[in-house]
Amino acid sequence: MMQISQFEALLARVNKPARYTDGEWNAVHKDWAAARVRLALLYPDVYEVGMSHLGLHILYHVVNSHPDYLAERCYAPWTDMEAELRRAGAPLTSLESRRPLSEFDVVGVTLPYELTYTNVLNMLDLAGIPPRAADRTEEHPLVIGGGPGAVNPEPMADFFDALLVGEGEEALLEILEAARAPRREALDRLAAIPGVYLPDRYQYSPAGPGPVGAVTPREGAQYPLVRRYVADLDAAPFPTKQLVPYLDTVHSRVTLEIMRGCARGCRFCQAGACYRPRRERNLDTLLRQAEEAVAATGFDEVSLLAFTSVDYSRIEQLVTGLTERLGGRGVGVALPSLRADAFSVAIANQIQKVRKSGLTFAPEAGTERLREVIRKRLSEEDLFAAADAAFSSGWFRLKLYFMIGLPTETNEDVEAISDLVHRLLDFGRGALGPRRGRLQISVSVAGFVPKPHTPFQWVGQDETETLAEKQRILQQTLRARAVKLSWTDPAVSALEAAVSRGDRRLGAVIHRAWELGAKFDSWGEHFQPALWEQAFAECGLRLSDYAHQELPRDADLAWDHIACGPAKDALRAELDRALGGGEA
Amino acid sequence: MAQYVCRYRKGEQLRWISHLDVKRTLERAMRRAGLPLALTQGHNPHPKLSFGPPLPLGATSDAELFALHVTEAMDADEVKQRLNEQLPPGLEVTEVWALPAYRKKETFGNIDLAGYEVTLGDSVGREDLQGRVDQLLASPELIVHRGGERPERTVDLRPLIHRLEVREGDDGPVLRMRLRTGSHGGARPQEVIALLGLDEREHVRRYHRTELSTRPSADRRPGAARGRRWRRQRR
Ligand code: SF4
Repeated sequence: MMQISQFEALLARVNKPARYTDGEWNAVHKDWAAARVRLALLYPDVYEVGMSHLGLHILYHVVNSHPDYLAERCYAPWTDMEAELRRAGAPLTSLESRRPLSEFDVVGVTLPYELTYTNVLNMLDLAGIPPRAADRTEEHPLVIGGGPGAVNPEPMADFFDALLVGEGEEALLEILEAARAPRREALDRLAAIPGVYLPDRYQYSPAGPGPVGAVTPREGAQYPLVRRYVADLDAAPFPTKQLVPYLDTVHSRVTLEIMRGCARGCRFCQAGACYRPRRERNLDTLLRQAEEAVAATGFDEVSLLAFTSVDYSRIEQLVTGLTERLGGRGVGVALPSLRADAFSVAIANQIQKVRKSGLTFAPEAGTERLREVIRKRLSEEDLFAAADAAFSSGWFRLKLYFMIGLPTETNEDVEAISDLVHRLLDFGRGALGPRRGRLQISVSVAGFVPKPHTPFQWVGQDETETLAEKQRILQQTLRARAVKLSWTDPAVSALEAAVSRGDRRLGAVIHRAWELGAKFDSWGEHFQPALWEQAFAECGLRLSDYAHQELPRDADLAWDHIACGPAKDALRAELDRALGGGEA
Repeated sequence: MAQYVCRYRKGEQLRWISHLDVKRTLERAMRRAGLPLALTQGHNPHPKLSFGPPLPLGATSDAELFALHVTEAMDADEVKQRLNEQLPPGLEVTEVWALPAYRKKETFGNIDLAGYEVTLGDSVGREDLQGRVDQLLASPELIVHRGGERPERTVDLRPLIHRLEVREGDDGPVLRMRLRTGSHGGARPQEVIALLGLDEREHVRRYHRTELSTRPSADRRPGAARGRRWRRQRR
């Protein structure tokens, strides 16, 4: 354990020291000596972001509920804390017991999204654990990855002893059971757990530039590697004693997972493809969990989590039930994700009688033609009906999400985004009448990123220059005072695409970028595209082969051995339908 | 409707959470405790709470204050017990007293004195320290520049230092000080440390607040609110 006084001295010198001090209500401190397997749950982003990741809370709860196992957390130290740790020569420790991560038996790493990957290497290094799996020995913990990023484990294959593909609440206990054995035996046992991928038991044969080539099993490893999922969500463990952070985190509220998966099948959507089937929790279960969680946390808001919460089959009963039970105590209900239609607004209206902050819709594309191509089933009629319902029940702020660079997109489609926003603006001004001055529409525009296991996995991303040009079109045409435009840096989208569609060779690039100083790549102030360019160049690879190249339809792809979403033939057929005019 | 004032302790474990974080923590603890909190009217109903002057980040305290409204009167000791069951290590309500029903919402607006104990490491000798204190107290004025404030200004801290003395602590000397605080201007313990020519990082082990109180009325500017000691009041 690090000397307490030494640690205290570091705290005095960093921003938001509460990121590192633990002791949150409902945090679990188990007896270290009594635990048979000790797991450090590592999240590669700063505390406030990591605390908002529901998956980590579920796993923390599952492991700590087991009599033999212990789980503690570790979030990425911000750069000021990292500098202090390195200067003091102090290792990265867990929050709960402040033990170095290297003393744990297993380090379980969440991979939330691609731009956190350099942080994983950095945190392992700070903990004194060699980032490359090949450099680790009997004395090091097993480093096991999982989470959304694991659906294409290849770019991170070098750094993990094993990865779990799919949902973790059942598989993790099997993994910890296997981890009781000494390292080599543990790895053999892990290899036998369905959904657990041991990268070094597979071989990659690149067959061209970019992620083209087959990954094939050695030593009888699982092939294809089929992802895990929880069949009965209602029976799956869910924490009601949720951690209550001291710091104001992104979601300081009770989170209820009402549904997992999504049946809408938007063609760009990896989450929709990889978390099938769509599963619901029962109404009674949810009402009970909400009551328990409010009592156990004292939060004043319950947030209903799902990809599209209003798709929950008994959403009206749920909302009514929650408001009846909790409203009198000053506890509100929030729907973070809405569909763009009048029904959604009516539901939102019911629960946000007083807090009319703003409504968010995701039309994704500006024309109905392009929305058909991406299979975002949303007619203009629906959108205007939603806006009508919103304005007439007292909302005056709308937030709209769009993507640019979608397959078959032309400049006209991009201009149509401006046109649509302007028409919504006019409509809103008319509907709000004397209160029109308060109308505000935020337009958030992201670059399209082709993702593995989706029908668009073969599509090349727009060149950075093309994306920038499309952004300029929007900047020039969307100039109303009531419109706030924000977008993602095309260089960030390009890196995200390259890593998403990465193969095993990208491990060297990620490692080199980290050595050169890349970290917190998803934070605008830290992202340094030049470092990545240099890393690609030094590894003899080109980012555009991964991000921008259209991949051959009949070739093996670097992630084909992972059976995650729909079968490859089905994806190809979807792509044909999309490009052939878009009929369902 | 009933109102209670609570005095609480902020200990070691939570000295790195901010005043705002403490407010949220207390509010959640009250909700967990199932206290029938009175809510504000209007758009975004929230519990009617008020807090004493914020404690500097990194400090501990025995003297913090907040007030809460509940819809049904209950025994003050019950409030204390139910809250303490729901507070994390590092926060503890030490005293609760009910305010008479006719009293308006307590805002702690007339608190204007704060007492601190600053534990110094053994890097400063007792004699040396006493010398510095004597010199400081002998100065007719102590002008400091507050660059962080807008507009920037200079303040004479001398009249704001009511007491400053050296005591022997368990490990090394302790500075006890009583400083003016509040909206009419105050001195911060960190400023006094700097005026003594000490370096906070090098010499200070701990700031600890021991007292929040109100000056006797004779000592006040004309027109200021009437003085009141922050003692438990018997009805
Ligand atoms: S984008 Fe949303 S609605 Fe579409 S498939 Fe994904 S989760 Fe479902």
